[in-house]
Amino acid sequence: MKEYILHLIGEIARYILDGDPSRMVISLHREQDGIHLAILDNNPRSEKEIESIRSALNPERRPELSEYYGIMAGHDLLGSSRLNLVGWQVKHAEVSRTQEGTKIDLWLGGENFDSSVFSIPKERTGT
Amino acid sequence: MKSSKETGLYIILSIIITGSILLGFVVQGVNSTLKGLIALQTRPARLITDYTALEGVGAALVNSGLVAALGLGVVKLSKVILSGPTIAGILTMMGFALFGKTLLNCIPIMIGVYLSAKVANKPFAAYLLMALFGTALGPLVTFLVFQSGLNGSLAMSLGVLAGIGTGFCLPPIAISMLHLHQGYNLYNIGFSCGFFGLFVASLFTAAKINLDIKVIWNTEPSLALILYIPALSGFLILCSILMGHKKAFLDFLSIQKLPGRLPSDFVDQLSAEGTLLNMGLLGLSGSVYVYVTKGDFNGPVLGGLLTLIGFGSFGKHLKNCWPVVTGVVLSCFTFGKNLAAPGPILAALFGTTLAPLAGQFGVTIGIAAGFVHLFMVERTAAWHGGLDLYNNGFSGGLTAALFVALIEWYRTTRQTLS
Repeated sequence: MKEYILHLIGEIARYILDGDPSRMVISLHREQDGIHLAILDNNPRSEKEIESIRSALNPERRPELSEYYGIMAGHDLLGSSRLNLVGWQVKHAEVSRTQEGTKIDLWLGGENFDSSVFSIPKERTGT
Repeated sequence: MKSSKETGLYIILSIIITGSILLGFVVQGVNSTLKGLIALQTRPARLITDYTALEGVGAALVNSGLVAALGLGVVKLSKVILSGPTIAGILTMMGFALFGKTLLNCIPIMIGVYLSAKVANKPFAAYLLMALFGTALGPLVTFLVFQSGLNGSLAMSLGVLAGIGTGFCLPPIAISMLHLHQGYNLYNIGFSCGFFGLFVASLFTAAKINLDIKVIWNTEPSLALILYIPALSGFLILCSILMGHKKAFLDFLSIQKLPGRLPSDFVDQLSAEGTLLNMGLLGLSGSVYVYVTKGDFNGPVLGGLLTLIGFGSFGKHLKNCWPVVTGVVLSCFTFGKNLAAPGPILAALFGTTLAPLAGQFGVTIGIAAGFVHLFMVERTAAWHGGLDLYNNGFSGGLTAALFVALIEWYRTTRQTLS
């Protein structure tokens, strides 16, 4: 689990650093049935960029890609960063604008993931 | 629930597969084709065995269609969406069934991958791509069953067990091999199968089993084979236009801007329309290359073109492929090789496995990679005794690993210095 989290942090941190921010904060919280990872930067992004991050982090379920290629997340870092590698492996992702930049929230959990026991805002999950 | 886009892709692939089978029966006649098809299951399958030269064009085309139908059926059963990677897997299986893959030698490997998923406590869907592409080691099954010198049921049991064992070992190897080239070799399973094949070939050599490479190459392809890929490419382009010509064209242009590094599902990233146009144009361009170089439109070459078309949905496009092909051509000129000879023409078509290097790092790196690929690929088949049908994937993996190591070192050093 530790390596898995480190790889996801590595890939997403690379994405953030590609934007050359002067500040990046990564915060990890253990929750009842998994992990909540929050990444903040001070890089202002357009609505289109935020939407593109959001869709990359909330892709359609692709077991054939996540199990096989997901291993490259945060490991094979030569080239552009790839948020879809992260998106395939997290249970839920939120992207929001902050006063000075962007905040990405990722929720990681087991196969029997239950969003109700996580700190995911209810209006987002529809529960 | 299937989307209309996915239903459309199912219909297109079904038409291609059915068309191939029907064409086979038409060109060779039903009885002769069926006889040839049965005989093909028992014929040698190691590189390079052109099935169109062995039991007739019809038998080869029907074999190709049936193996592709197996792939499509497995995708459907595993409930994985039909998209870029699965289309690439099915068309690659279809292509290689013109020179090495048969139903008999593919199924045991797929069963092995299935068992591997069970042991790892994962759904088969998670290992589906390894099952589709892993059939590259099919010749191992055929070799043990029909060419090992063992008799009847012992040979059959050994061959099937070896196939299952191979499939079982493939997933961990494939996952591990990805790190070596970091997704810059599109045929990662070819790389993995070549690696595994090294051990098997060494075992055979130790047991004094001969694995010399023989080339069976159809030098007089029929009109049906010559027109097959242009017609298929035209069909794909027509489908893309019918699905929405403006979107197809705009998304095709957007695809050209992507690096193509694994995993790049163009259907998901852009659209089915743009992807089909990309696939069709790649098929046409490849055909023009074969025609201009006076290559033979036979089983292996059609296999290369079908794989090129298939990966037009999963990493390859005109912009990232041409530098690699140019590199192969330059290498041929440098070393005085005939562009139409089996090695060089297959290296040009399959060498596009290195297209992501050109897509990510530019034309010069792409040309350099293609240049190196040619002389590597001519060497590597002997290492695994022709057991790995994706020899270009094996060689491509080695070439990509070399380039990735050099580029990574250069970038890291430069960043440290600055």
